[in-house]
Amino acid sequence: MEKTAVESVCEELVFARFFKAHAKVLHNFLYYKFGNEAQAADAAQEAFIKLWENCENVPLEKARSYIYTVANHSSLNVIAHQKVVLEYAKVANPMRHTSENPEFILEEQQFKIKLERAIQNLTESQRTAFLLHRIDGKKYTEIAEMLEISVKAVEKRIHGALVSLRLEIENIK
Amino acid sequence: MKEQHDLAKWLEGKMTESERAAFEKTAEFALYGKIKMYSDDLKTPDFDADLMFEKIVRRPKAKPVVQMKTNRFLRIAAVLVVGLGLLLVYNTFSETSVLAQNGKTETFLLPDDSEVTLNSGSEIHYQKFGWNKKRSLKLDGEAYFKVIKGKTFDVNTNLGKVTVVGTQFNVKARRQRFEVTCFEGKVRVQNHSENVLIAKGERTTFESGKKINSIPVTSQKPQWLQNELAFNADKLSAVIAELERVYNVSIQPENVDLDEKFTGTIPSNNIGLALQIVSSAYHFEYFQNKKLIVFRHR
Repeated sequence: MEKTAVESVCEELVFARFFKAHAKVLHNFLYYKFGNEAQAADAAQEAFIKLWENCENVPLEKARSYIYTVANHSSLNVIAHQKVVLEYAKVANPMRHTSENPEFILEEQQFKIKLERAIQNLTESQRTAFLLHRIDGKKYTEIAEMLEISVKAVEKRIHGALVSLRLEIENIK
Repeated sequence: MKEQHDLAKWLEGKMTESERAAFEKTAEFALYGKIKMYSDDLKTPDFDADLMFEKIVRRPKAKPVVQMKTNRFLRIAAVLVVGLGLLLVYNTFSETSVLAQNGKTETFLLPDDSEVTLNSGSEIHYQKFGWNKKRSLKLDGEAYFKVIKGKTFDVNTNLGKVTVVGTQFNVKARRQRFEVTCFEGKVRVQNHSENVLIAKGERTTFESGKKINSIPVTSQKPQWLQNELAFNADKLSAVIAELERVYNVSIQPENVDLDEKFTGTIPSNNIGLALQIVSSAYHFEYFQNKKLIVFRHR
């Protein structure tokens, strides 16, 4: 307790630890929002720079909500949304690859493509919530904090996302 | 539908056993299962967090740092300005002192450019503020003045006061001896009993407040400025004191009559000759060990 109270974001080590813990997720969060890699990186960097420059005024425990607030505000300036391009991890769960059936692999490939397209067609709010959960493993409470909305609203978005995805994939079929 | 956010619950693994069993029986479950499974493998394009970190931290913390520097600089500057201001005020209002230590003379200018040369072991106090309205200073010892024409110029000593308008004169106020020599213009000399006006080339001398004969003025400047020490019926003690001041030495008289008078001139830049003259005039011998000199009756 005492230690966290003393720790200042202005100390480079503290800032570095905080950055390591949150940079990737913030970056992803912005990427889901913008669908643009460069813009996401810029906005994430901007948020951390603001934190670094204002480190004296932001206690460590408030730092996370600070960067998301900055990020949420910066997103207001972005007009055009681009497609979110995702990748599939190369080393997939080996459990699922016990059968080397080529037909199965082909089907799997096709499904993956469909899923990706469906994700691209989600609304921005659904996609952000869904991907923060799926890719970044964030809990609904954490997502609610990041988006500055209620947990119920997050659940609604996740549910909506799943329904949309299913419909989209079925339609393509 | 009651299952408003049920899928969210399921995705999070928060469905109850029975809820899940029911859900797994639905037609859509298979597809949701696939969505869940494959979305698990998704990842975002690689992102170089280290590079970004370097960019953020190595970025000169431009605004705040520069501001801090400016602030600090301004603070220092402000302190200096205030300090200098106070010093100026202090200098102007406080008394200014000039001291010529033993063995040295000191020449300086007063605020109106009047020139003062202090003989060894002499001191002047004056106030810079309002100097041009009231030219007045305090002298302890001997000094030569070249006064710029203007308002009256007062030299105050323990033994009397000298008032001039614009002139060159020497004031000597040592022990009981008060002597004023005028080299140019006119000088008014006052002590508790007398009030004399002397003109160029004149001199007035007091010993213990009484007027005594003066030696005629033969030079254009005080003799001490020409490396000569002139004495006029001065007591030996006064001569010794003058030697001590001018040569910055310490003189110990032994078996010597300190009240015996001395009249004459001795050099102020040749201690050997000066000691020889004095000792032969009084018939005593002297011993010198660096800065210490002993006078002993023969």
